[in-house]
Amino acid sequence: MKPLAFAARSLRREFRHAELATLAAALVLAVAALAAVATLASRVEQAIVASAAELLGGDLAISASRPLPADFVNTAQADGLATSQQVEFNSMLFAGARSRLSEVRANDARFPLRGSLVVQGADGGTQLAHAPPRGRVYVDPEVLQALQIRLGDQLQLGDGEFAVAATIVQSPDSGDLLRFAPRAVMNIDDALASGLLGPGSRARHRLLVAGAPDAVTRFASWARAHLPDGAELTTVADAQQNLRQAFERGQAFLRMAALLAALLSGIAVALGAQRFARRKVEEVALLRCLGARRGEILAALLLELGLLALPACLLGLALGIGLQQAVFGLAGSLLPGPAPSLPWAPPLAAFAVGVAVLFGFALPPLLRLRDVEPVRVFRQEVTPRVRRFDALYLLPLAVGAGLILAGAGSLRLAGTLAAGFAGIALVTAALGILLLWLARAGSARLGGALRFGLANLARRRVLTLLQAGALALGLTALALLGVIGPSLLSHWRAELPADTPNWFALNIQPAQRSDFEHALAGLGAQNLNLLPMAVGKLVAINGQAPHARDSAGRRAAGRPDGEVRLSWSQALPEANTVLAGHWFGPAPGRPELSVDRSWRDRFDLKLGDTLTLRIGEHELSATVTSFRGVDWESFRANFFLMLDPASGASLPHSYIGSFHIAPGSAADLAALSREFPNLSLVDISQILDRVRDIIAQVSGAVTWVLGFSLLAGLLVLLAALAATADERRFEAALLRALGAARRQVSVAVLAEFAALGLIAGMIAIAGAAALGSVLASEVLRMHGYVPPFAPLVGIVLGAALVIAVAGWAGSLRIARSSPMGVLRRA
Amino acid sequence: MSGPAGALTILDGVDVALPRGESLAITGESGSGKTTLLGLLAGLDRPTSGSITLAAHCLDDLDEEARARLRRHLVGFVFQNFHLLPALDAQENVMLPLELEGRADAGERAAAALSRVGLAARARHYPHQLSGGEQQRVALARAFVHAPKILFADEPTGNLDQRTGGGVGDLLFDLNREHGTTLVLVTHDPALAARCAHQLVLQLGRVIERSTT
Repeated sequence: MKPLAFAARSLRREFRHAELATLAAALVLAVAALAAVATLASRVEQAIVASAAELLGGDLAISASRPLPADFVNTAQADGLATSQQVEFNSMLFAGARSRLSEVRANDARFPLRGSLVVQGADGGTQLAHAPPRGRVYVDPEVLQALQIRLGDQLQLGDGEFAVAATIVQSPDSGDLLRFAPRAVMNIDDALASGLLGPGSRARHRLLVAGAPDAVTRFASWARAHLPDGAELTTVADAQQNLRQAFERGQAFLRMAALLAALLSGIAVALGAQRFARRKVEEVALLRCLGARRGEILAALLLELGLLALPACLLGLALGIGLQQAVFGLAGSLLPGPAPSLPWAPPLAAFAVGVAVLFGFALPPLLRLRDVEPVRVFRQEVTPRVRRFDALYLLPLAVGAGLILAGAGSLRLAGTLAAGFAGIALVTAALGILLLWLARAGSARLGGALRFGLANLARRRVLTLLQAGALALGLTALALLGVIGPSLLSHWRAELPADTPNWFALNIQPAQRSDFEHALAGLGAQNLNLLPMAVGKLVAINGQAPHARDSAGRRAAGRPDGEVRLSWSQALPEANTVLAGHWFGPAPGRPELSVDRSWRDRFDLKLGDTLTLRIGEHELSATVTSFRGVDWESFRANFFLMLDPASGASLPHSYIGSFHIAPGSAADLAALSREFPNLSLVDISQILDRVRDIIAQVSGAVTWVLGFSLLAGLLVLLAALAATADERRFEAALLRALGAARRQVSVAVLAEFAALGLIAGMIAIAGAAALGSVLASEVLRMHGYVPPFAPLVGIVLGAALVIAVAGWAGSLRIARSSPMGVLRRA
Repeated sequence: MSGPAGALTILDGVDVALPRGESLAITGESGSGKTTLLGLLAGLDRPTSGSITLAAHCLDDLDEEARARLRRHLVGFVFQNFHLLPALDAQENVMLPLELEGRADAGERAAAALSRVGLAARARHYPHQLSGGEQQRVALARAFVHAPKILFADEPTGNLDQRTGGGVGDLLFDLNREHGTTLVLVTHDPALAARCAHQLVLQLGRVIERSTT
């Protein structure tokens, strides 16, 4: 026996039969979905990373209080990376008798490496810029208002005079949400020459790096090992708290969708292979009888499968790439910047996963064919045994677990999903057995065909449980994709409602507070929340000098120089939740402190620890009485440290707050800042818009990706129905021969499928709701998400109805066919 | 019927009449049209021309639905390959015809029928747990359980060894006698055919020999 020739002949002959075509279709769809999902996800990820890089101005930034050693630039450039240097410092700007504190950025000619600096000149036209020519500066419009000057006028900065050449429209920022003063951009050579960067200037030197992702990763690990004290490395992933969170959530969504597509494809392949193996039993018995060895037969079977898989996977690959190209053509405009190029790794990985899925899920039933005894040829009346569980079925479980782990990216998501699906399988088995028992018991009281259908369902225990399980899983996926996914997305979008604060106000003196509130209300501002703010330094923890656990946490936990901003409030501020301990009571006997969890982690704090802070001339020791989770995406003023109000009131402080005001109120706000000259007003709508953009991009892409997974889910449903089609066809013909009316056959099948659909549907509703809630709270960290039960019940019951009607429609043809087939079936 | 090579005549000029309660054996070479004739007589299919009357019901103008109704009440079947439903146990298989009639006592009657064929102890066994002879006895119990007027058997012993086949044949004729059932059977087995009152031999769709014992 020549296995390859035999396999090729078998394939040619058998491809006309349904199950091999079904298997091939499952593979085509699986690989197409996987390739499309993975490629699209990767391209969207690239685009999101690119947009985060735009905000950072490069792919990576290192900032330090002294200029970085030349090694850093040399190492980066040696690896083909582009570099740009920037210095940031605060300085007063003067024009005549007026002055204004400004955050000055001194750029070189290469800045920015990513994103763009856009300025508006005196002619009103906007243009891309790098560093201004020497002797000139670009400023935020607020500076012109504060100094009462126009474009072209001179201002004084340090020792030099500079002409204001343009106003800043958009600039890649260091990623800080808050600016405490308006910006001015100057040429780095002017800054170096002006004496502004002398000792004690508190300037921050920044090195921006950009280039090929591999080179950036290499440089990042080199740089981490060589980082000087007090220096800080920022990658696009941690470019900004709120952007990063949006980015991570987007990734989680995309991964979930791709993972479901892969798992569903596996189930479809398993069902198709089972049917294929059932059909092969006679042939294998005959071949064994004619003297073929087990090994030869197995080789022929695997080769046949391989010959089927190769073109199917290739076709799927082509289809997947074509599909995502089409989607990208349509949706690519949502993404910022130039379209990312087509990555080849994800489609190739999809091809490999397709082959793994095929063999992982199809092997167990095929390997079982080895056990077929040649004697079967002589005992054809012996029907194939209903298979019990055996160790071979650990293979698809292992492949499934591997897929979950590889696809989920994080153990947490993988664990949640794996536990969810395993839970559904267990609950399905338990509930299925219970419902079948009820059906069997209850069927005795029902009449005629209905009774027969339910009894039939109850009698096919193992098969029914398998089908209910597969259907429940498919329906759960459909519900997750069709209802839970979109509702999670809209819940996410709703976290940034229309009245999300788009301006920050800083430096409001206590005496100005009520006037300011009154004036703002007059302008129609909404959602104003003012909090007191004191600036101090962390001096000691439990009497010891503070020591951070690692430098990576420093960014999240405030400035490395130890400067901290703290606030106080009687009520727990919005967007804050107490994770441990308790919020302040009315009048604590001694100072109490509530600490954000990133600070807790950074300094290994425990409840009851004492933190000593120096604020101006005051020194204050406070006991940690609670830890808080803070939603940094809320666009409100939030603090790592909050003091009890009684202790805070006596500290020197100003007020800080955020508010929402209709776009186009710049002139009104300019008037307001003339009324309160010491006040800083910061427009954060640009950042807000960017976050909204990203959410829109991600949810748009996720919707497309979900569409592919949905197709895979439908395929599972079809495969599950097809799995018993032969048996049903024969049963229907036999029943017809025994005199069953067409209506009896139809009602029996309808009752059976409706009950099956209902069992699977109920399990799916519970499963999808539970999984959705867990995903929301544990993985995506959304608060207050409640799965929408009405649409969930609607879509699942609708799908169950479709299953019943599809099964019934399929049986109509059978019921019409001649029962003569029963006599002819050998 | 029409086939790839044009019109194909499977049965031609076959004229059979069988009085109530009597038995007929149809024999002949493979491909002679035995099974087709059986199917036509049982109302599983319709002839392109000619007339069939089953227990005083003319089948000619009945559609498949009406013929199914007749089969339910009048006809029992035994097949060469037994055709038990693999997912149902022995008793459940026997219950089938009774359930189709909507009989409330299907369980008890099926149990009694299984006792009659000597398989009371195997009622809860599935087909794959039974030998070929046992499966055919279950099929016999199913064929007789609703007391049909006519029984059609297609090679009932064709898949069994001589001894088991003989036992099943005995049981078939015993049950036939007990119920006063009319029996039509297709067989290659001359011994089984000889036990029928009437014999019909087919060749290429035509009757070449008739005999009555």
